[in-house]
Amino acid sequence: MIKSNRPRIYSKYEINCIVFLYTMVLFVPLILVFTYVFNIEYTFDLNILLLALLAIDVFITLIGVIFLRIKRDTLKRNVKINYQNEFYYLVIISVFGLLGFIVLYQYFFGITEYIPSIFVLLLVIFVYTLIKLGQKYFNLRYQRKI
Amino acid sequence: MRKPSVSDETLNRILKYLGILLLGFGVILLAIQFSDFWSWILNAIKAVIIPLSLAYIGALILYPLIKYLEKKGIGPRGFSLGLVFILAVGLIFSAFYFFTPLIIEEIKNFFADDFPVIVDYINNDLREEFILGTDIYDRIYNYISETNVIADTVDQFVPNLIKAVSSALLPILTSVAILPILLIFYLNDYEVINERLRAIVPKKHEKNAAELGSRLNKTVGAYLRGQLLLMIVLGAVATIVYKIIGLKYYFLFGFLVGVTNIIPYFGLIIAAVPPIIYTFIATSGPGPLLVLLVNVVLQFFEGNIFQPLIMSHQLSIHPIVIIISILFFGSLFGPLGVIFASPIAASIRVIYQFFRDLRKEIEQNKLNEAKGS
Repeated sequence: MIKSNRPRIYSKYEINCIVFLYTMVLFVPLILVFTYVFNIEYTFDLNILLLALLAIDVFITLIGVIFLRIKRDTLKRNVKINYQNEFYYLVIISVFGLLGFIVLYQYFFGITEYIPSIFVLLLVIFVYTLIKLGQKYFNLRYQRKI
Repeated sequence: MRKPSVSDETLNRILKYLGILLLGFGVILLAIQFSDFWSWILNAIKAVIIPLSLAYIGALILYPLIKYLEKKGIGPRGFSLGLVFILAVGLIFSAFYFFTPLIIEEIKNFFADDFPVIVDYINNDLREEFILGTDIYDRIYNYISETNVIADTVDQFVPNLIKAVSSALLPILTSVAILPILLIFYLNDYEVINERLRAIVPKKHEKNAAELGSRLNKTVGAYLRGQLLLMIVLGAVATIVYKIIGLKYYFLFGFLVGVTNIIPYFGLIIAAVPPIIYTFIATSGPGPLLVLLVNVVLQFFEGNIFQPLIMSHQLSIHPIVIIISILFFGSLFGPLGVIFASPIAASIRVIYQFFRDLRKEIEQNKLNEAKGS
């Protein structure tokens, strides 16, 4: 008999969907954080840059979703015990995404005094999201030593 | 009759080891007598071993990519190798192309804007703000001016540095020139070369040697790839954070974080010192406490998130082992020893684990045989 408390193992389709959509949500801050280092905001108009990035983001998301739908059956047949590498990828882009949101805040509001508070708030949100995602979908056991 | 406390077998073994030790000392003593000859031979070996080791490290980093492409049906080997090689060379060149002007610009700005301020601070304001008091400052100042200690040190240091750089320049240039060619040939015939190397090992130990070799390649390769990724990620994060807090030379200091991160544990501490000193002296920008806090947070993230995630738990080596290996190999081989201390420690760990597993396997086999009979 199958134990009821056994964790459900998700297929590559679900995992790829999560990874792809997560990346797309963080796409604008991710690009922005790197352009910020190279002072791109002095070369382009920031509003136009942001609009262009959003348009690219939506375009890539649409193509990606269509691609995922096409590959759905093949990906549904692929299953792994856990998705450690995919989760590591999420953690790394989350770090840059978090910094990207701070850059975004700095561009729009420019009040540096609140940056530490926003950083802590975003950190808590990101950590909570990642822990929940890792537990539910990526099948990671944080307490167990690998 | 009383049983002897040491058996004949143990005694024989001790005598054998003592003989080997004595012979070893004899060989070393004899070798010392011909030091010129050995230094000649060693230099020749060094000229070969440095580019070869670099090619091996490069192959460990690039080979999985080639294998991945081949698995995806992108082949034959020449084509996948060409793709990976062009990608790697392109990445290295574009990094140089984009980052070098930025770093040079920041160094130039530092010497143009801040260096005179620092010199002025040391000459005029440091006395008043000296942490141990003006009396001790005057004593140190008088000692320096009377003994000419700084001028003498600089006089000794500069010619030595020029000599060391000029003597190391030719081998470095040769290695850099030979490396791509060596790497191409090595990656092209990766399996064949490994097979030939395995063929040197006597038949009796071939299986074990192959297993050990494969484990070493896997572990050291993973370690090197992880370390490279860690350097890039941490360097990028540090650069962004330094810019967010308004540190002036954020690119230079962030680059320093990335480069020094090649030395585990000490790297981030070494990289934190220049920006903290700079913020002490700088009239504008963030205070030293904020920079210190940023570095502490970075150290925390590096140790608790990036390092375990990127390096994975399988490669984790105890911090004490890493620190000891940094000290030992650093004193043995200098800066190169410090850089390669962790992969060497990882290799030693793999070798140790391999022999432990082998011994367990032999013991298990013996037990099974005994049970069977």
